[in-house]
Order: sequence, then C-alpha cells, then structure tokens
Amino acid sequence: MNTLVIVLSLLAGAYLVAVLEAWLATGRFRLAAPAWAAVALLGRESIVPRTPDRIFFETAPVLLLIAALLAAAVLPLSPSMVMANLATGALFVNAALAYVLVALLMAGWGSDSAYALVGGWRFLGQVIAYSMLIVMPITAVAMRAESLLTTDIVSSQEAVWNILYQPIGFVLFFVASMAVAFLPPFDLPIAVGDLAGGVEAEYTGVRLAVFRLGRMVLVITLAAATTVFYLGGWMGPVLPPWAWSAIKILAVSAAMLLGGYTLPRIREAHLLAWCWKLGIPLALINLFIVGVMVLIWP
Amino acid sequence: MNALQQYGLLLALICGVIGLVLILFALARAIGRTQQEPGKNVPATAGMLSRDPVWVRYHARYYGYALLFLAFDMEMAFMYPWAVVYKQTGLVALLDMGVFLAILFLGLLYGWSQGAFRRQ
Repeated sequence: MNTLVIVLSLLAGAYLVAVLEAWLATGRFRLAAPAWAAVALLGRESIVPRTPDRIFFETAPVLLLIAALLAAAVLPLSPSMVMANLATGALFVNAALAYVLVALLMAGWGSDSAYALVGGWRFLGQVIAYSMLIVMPITAVAMRAESLLTTDIVSSQEAVWNILYQPIGFVLFFVASMAVAFLPPFDLPIAVGDLAGGVEAEYTGVRLAVFRLGRMVLVITLAAATTVFYLGGWMGPVLPPWAWSAIKILAVSAAMLLGGYTLPRIREAHLLAWCWKLGIPLALINLFIVGVMVLIWP
Repeated sequence: MNALQQYGLLLALICGVIGLVLILFALARAIGRTQQEPGKNVPATAGMLSRDPVWVRYHARYYGYALLFLAFDMEMAFMYPWAVVYKQTGLVALLDMGVFLAILFLGLLYGWSQGAFRRQ
C-alpha cells in the first residue's frame, strides 16, 4: 500500500516535471500537454533500425526507468513513507544511478546509428566528470549523520539543514544531479541540434515514450535525493511531513529545469576540465571542512 | 521490514516496471502496428546509408581522466564505511583519511602537471 502511494506520487511528480518542461520548450502552460504527447507517442509507429543489437535496444529505455525508480525506492518522503529503508541507503542511491550510464550507452550502441553511438560515448565522458561530485558530497553527508540510512540522514539535519552546514557540497551535488539527468546545459548525450537527438535518435513511438518517462522520473528522483541529503527532507513547520517533501522536491526539480534552460550547452572537454580541476578539489575541501566541523559542532 | 523483505520489494519493483512497459507495448500494438516499408528503418545519418556497422573504433579523448577516475572510484569504496564510524573514532579518523586523500590529491596534481587533464 505504502509502496503504491509512493510510486503513484513519483509518477505524479514526473508528470508535473513534464508539464514544466513543455512550458519551457513551447512558452505555453498546458496542463494536458504531456498526456497528449504520451497518447501521440503510443499511436505512432515504433520503428526498429535496420541492424540493431536487439537486446540492448529493447533493454535501454526500461533500464533507465528501473534505475530511476530503484534510486527513489530508498528515499523517504516522510518518516514512514519510504519503500525500502535499506541500511546502505545512501550507497544504494549511487549504485542505482550508475545504471543510468549503462542504459544510455546501451541505447547508443543498440541502434547501430552513428549519432546515437557518439551520444553514448559522450555520456561516458560525462559520467567520468560528474560521478565523483555525486559520491564525495554524499560521503560528507553520511559523516554528519553517522549512518547510511536515508531516514537517519534527514533526522541528522534537525538543528541545521545540510545546505547551510555544507554549502559547497550542496552546490556540487546540485550541478552533478543536473548532469546525471542530462538536463541542459549538460544534455550532451541527446544534444538536440547537434547530434540529431543522440541516443534518442532511433527511438520512436512507445519505446521513446518509455525513454522520456524514465528521464522524467530520474529528474524527480534526483530532486528527492537533493531534498533528503541537503534540504532537511520532510522537516518544516505547520504542514504535514509529506507536504513539505512534495513542496521541496517540486521546487528543486523546477530549479534544475529553469537553471539550465538559459545557458548554452557545455562542451564535453570543458565539462571534464571544470569538474576535475575545480569540482574535485572543492569536493575534497568540503570533506575536510565537514570533517573538522563534525568534531567541533555536530 | 527486514533486509530480505526489502530486497524482495526492490525485485518486485523491477518486475512491476517490466510489467508496466509490457502493458504500454500491448496498448501501442492495439492502436496500430508498424508498417514494414523499405528505407524506413535507415538510421539517421544525413540520408546516407552507412556501409559498415558503426560499432567501429571511437577515439575516447577523455582517457586521461578515465585512468585517474579509476583511482578515485576505488578510493570511494573505502570512504563509505569510514564516513559511518567517523564521529566515534574522532581526530584519528580525520588524520588517517587525510593522509590517504592527500596522497591521492598529489597524484591528481601530478597527472594535471603531466597533461592528463586535456582532450587528448
């Protein structure tokens, strides 16, 4: 029952993200736009390119959706609203998000199309750039909470939210989350106008619908992870816990979408250089600062 | 819920997603089938059909980063258990991991000086 409620609320969140993305793309606010787009995609032909790696081609969209949902499964919306409160929760989020790479590389490889394959390899480079900036800030969060349980991580922020306690970590994690969900300006693997859709190029019809759904759920999952790790999860006055979670998650996902849409797409070489020359030293400094602070003022 | 039930739930989630996707496929099939027509299934390559499969060599120009990434990724495996017991162990833990990270960071600086952080 609990699980069903959480899955349905995740899907509702993904729907709202899709509404927002359509609003940004077309300039018109239409609440029904994603529903019509989904119906249209289901009605279209789903063409398989001529020499596919069939297993990879079919698995990729499903795997993206599974990865996003599994990462969301360990994130709490309120003290009791969590699907599986694993003892290794924070680590499990990483493990599940690693499969985003696998899904996109499969999508690129599977369709045997030059643009798609370039998109897939590009995303591998993107992973090498962002992945340390996901992992190291989460470690700093776990240091303060003394636990990898996501519910413990939220309750460790009772006094001060992590966004104030470790602001460097928050900024790094937020930017890296945008790169995980390949939102602009980090939309290198799909790169509309540059790679003709990249890894999505050969997907049509129902397969594309699943792919897009997976990405929307991924955005919501990453917003939920940011909320749990840095924004005090369900905490807040007056309103019930689940409402605070919902407000924060939607606000973070809106910020992720809005933040990138005005920026030009970053080049892969520049992304790698910024992440390794600035991001990783900052992440190490963040670990050190949090390490000292935890001992002095928990 | 004990740990086994939790993993069972995660497995059920995976099965549920696969089920949902199968339902969507059946729905799309019910609306209409894909017509098999010649030339329709050519991948997007500016109208030209590529002679060979595209699974050929791709120059991963970020391989310098990739090698350093391996070192950092291995290091993270040690960081998680360390982070959990950090506060109990106190200053000793900070020094232990500090020395380890300092050596790793020196490696990063050395790689940087040797031009590893460049599009090759």
